Amino acid sequence: MSAVVEHDQVLTIAREVFAAMVDGDPGLLQPWDGDLPAFDQSISAWVDVSGDWHGRAVLTTDKSIADDLARALLDLGADEEVTDLDLVDAFGEVANVVGGNVKSLLPTQGSLGLPQVAPVAPALAGAAVVQELRLAWRGRPFVVAVWGIEKAAEEGNRS
Amino acid sequence: MIRVLITDDSRVMRQIVIRTLRQAGYDWDVSEASDGVEALEAVRADEPDVVLSDWNMPNLNGIDLLRRLRAEGFQTPFGFVTSEGSPEMRATAEAAGALFLIAKPFTAEGFREVIDPVLA
Repeated sequence: MSAVVEHDQVLTIAREVFAAMVDGDPGLLQPWDGDLPAFDQSISAWVDVSGDWHGRAVLTTDKSIADDLARALLDLGADEEVTDLDLVDAFGEVANVVGGNVKSLLPTQGSLGLPQVAPVAPALAGAAVVQELRLAWRGRPFVVAVWGIEKAAEEGNRS
Repeated sequence: MIRVLITDDSRVMRQIVIRTLRQAGYDWDVSEASDGVEALEAVRADEPDVVLSDWNMPNLNGIDLLRRLRAEGFQTPFGFVTSEGSPEMRATAEAAGALFLIAKPFTAEGFREVIDPVLA
């Protein structure tokens, strides 16, 4: 049975988002080769999709990498400070665009929540990982995941 | 010079939209609003030539902003710049009176393709 969202579709979305918003070059987001190292200080940005299909798009990386992502989005220099507000805004907006594009792949449309950022994305009741892409952004680890709630689990929760 | 009001709750995204407008060759006078409520007040105070708005925002979202503007008699040219570009949303936007919907992520070329025919 095919997943509601395929691996390659998520990879295409992530590459298009990074190329257009961040890098201007589609080659700077690549599959990660080998085991993913543990993050020193993990940070996640996510956005929820509600409707016939409930799920979440989650981006996870190290805070130092998310800071560099914010610098790239805001045209800041490598040694310029990234405020918490800018980090939440920039990282959250990348998750928002990835989530919006994932939502566009669904057979029926639902609604998209507002992006959120925290050290760890909280559990989503009944959700399982539909896709998890271990990627390298500018050679550094970056995970893009899609979580989904199985219909059966959802119906079980309602009963 | 065309005066544009860019409405998005993300400062980063407003900055990217401004940058992309310049890259697309639109030397416009830019003002900003961080949600639909702010945008509605800005249009009431000094109507711009065009509004570019996100869809998904707190307080007042983009589609409700457009409906409120039309209900109040403002025919300001209005386009969406949003992370969702499904056929249903495009139809909803058009029905409410939007001129176009640009889906994120976008490019300067994509801006020109959509904006030139309606505003040039």
